[in-house]
Amino acid sequence: MSMTAVEKILARASGVTSVNAGEIVYPKPGIVVLHDYLVPPCKKELDALGIDRLFDPNRVIIVTDHAVLYSSRQDAEFGKIIRRAVADWGIKHFYDVGQGGHGHIFLAERGIIRPGMFLFDNDRHCTNHGAYGAFALRTGAEITRVLATGTLWTMVPKTIRIKLTGTLQPGVFARDIGLRMTTDLQFGRDYGVDIDYRVLELTGPALSHFSMDARVSLCSSPTEARAVGVFIPPSEKMLRQIRTVAQKTFSPVYSDPDALFEKEFEMDIGNIGPQAALTGFSDRGVDLSQIEGTRIHHAVIGSCGSGKYEDLEIAATVLKGNRVAPGVRLFISPGTEDSAKRLYMEGLWEIFHTAGAILLPPGCGPCFMGYMAPVSEGEVSISTVSTNPLGRMGGKGCELFLASPATVAASAVSGRVTDPRSIDALIKNKGESDLERF
Amino acid sequence: MNDFNWRLTGRCYRLGHDIPHAGAVIPVRFIANRILNPNELIPFLFHEINPGFHKRVRAGDIIVTGRNFGMGPKMNGYIAMQALDLGLVCESMPFLAYRAAIGCGLRVMTDCAGVTNWVETGDELEVDFATGDFINHSRDVRRRFSPVPETLRDIVTLGGNVGWLKHWWKTHRNQAS
Repeated sequence: MSMTAVEKILARASGVTSVNAGEIVYPKPGIVVLHDYLVPPCKKELDALGIDRLFDPNRVIIVTDHAVLYSSRQDAEFGKIIRRAVADWGIKHFYDVGQGGHGHIFLAERGIIRPGMFLFDNDRHCTNHGAYGAFALRTGAEITRVLATGTLWTMVPKTIRIKLTGTLQPGVFARDIGLRMTTDLQFGRDYGVDIDYRVLELTGPALSHFSMDARVSLCSSPTEARAVGVFIPPSEKMLRQIRTVAQKTFSPVYSDPDALFEKEFEMDIGNIGPQAALTGFSDRGVDLSQIEGTRIHHAVIGSCGSGKYEDLEIAATVLKGNRVAPGVRLFISPGTEDSAKRLYMEGLWEIFHTAGAILLPPGCGPCFMGYMAPVSEGEVSISTVSTNPLGRMGGKGCELFLASPATVAASAVSGRVTDPRSIDALIKNKGESDLERF
Repeated sequence: MNDFNWRLTGRCYRLGHDIPHAGAVIPVRFIANRILNPNELIPFLFHEINPGFHKRVRAGDIIVTGRNFGMGPKMNGYIAMQALDLGLVCESMPFLAYRAAIGCGLRVMTDCAGVTNWVETGDELEVDFATGDFINHSRDVRRRFSPVPETLRDIVTLGGNVGWLKHWWKTHRNQAS
């Protein structure tokens, strides 16, 4: 029977030869990812039920990414509960403070996430892993059932295939495309199909414009329009990159030529300029020109939305030789510890520091409810973080714009929302280097 | 579990399309403060769109909604509905809202196309969530929709995810890990 790639992944994980969209299955994950903020409530719930062992402690990975800095004694106690849970459950793969970074980024960079893999993750932005040809399913608080039993009821999602065509404009980046796609697809707005609990499979010649890092950005934003996953069939080039880090062998999965998609359509990325998302979830995308010139106070580059090394390189291109404008504070939160190390080794840290940016520890950064570096009431923030509902990083009187790393960096320098195409270095570098660098 | 009542008979409360969970179903502060105690939630169920709902509603009553009910993967409102022994029939729900309702042990059917065309608030309804039979006695309308999938029924009969896990552990705790 013909299947889409994600149907194949779910069939394989469920131990059956085929599955159909809408069917309920019980897939067994290669790994289960539990993020720090959910460890204490999971421990409390399982303890209350008397459940003192996990289905397979070797397959459960606990990552510390939301609350990396302990800014209060209460947070320190929170960390203590996490470590106690790790010990009680016998978890071997625990990435404590300073050991990994963002779980939606470093697990793939270190080759733990691999093409064809199925995994459960409590956090919805696990859609990032689709950039590597894997399928991660968000469980929310139901992760406790996975931790105890090793599986969870899973409805096989329908898949929508989007063929990306056209040429990426200079000064436009994967995050811009992701924001535009998210807005256009929300509630079936422009393409006549609601992407609620749908997988978006991205194909087409325009994918060649996007490096591995850029593909992660493409996979992040559609989560905000309720997509359950974004899947990019790994190209030969991507597979070669992944093989250099993969910790185990893997078997990539591709949709059958006659697989049944709910809908198929093309999207011309050549028509898309720099984008921004207005406060209230990143499906509220607009052309950047609509907010250009707005005075800003707070800027962030990082988070699982755009925290890959390449995102930091883009920001460095803009910031090199420039200073953050008076009255603006710019925070940079690398996605991973490995990226943070590279920043020092390759001189980007110096560029950021000289520009007046503040480097935060790898992880979610301010995106986790303004846990660190929040926005003050009445201020305007522009950032690359993954989501921006009202009040997310500060009070309800804040504006929280989302944009690409280039736009955020350019805005931090000018003090106002700025089109990155006005930055000569960005356009020049892009024109002279291979497109896949940025 | 065998005596679980899948067939509800009660009055209809008809709601329109696009009713968000935050605000319309339960005030935002209960979600923000992660209040999950049904006794605290019940007095505020549908409070913003139907003040005093909890005083009028009776066990077995059925809420019938239009498209896109309960936007947001939150469960506070479903906890209150389950505690009040209500049923929920929707033209559509975002998947994570449906998942949250099942996880709270609520008798719920979704994808019941056009169901709001055949009911008004106050109608006498009879709905079997295990067969999908939907009867409006007041208007002599009978329809059949997709019931709660068989594989999910034990979650509902056991009162939701926590009850299911509790039951699972009872039968698995002595098995070697």
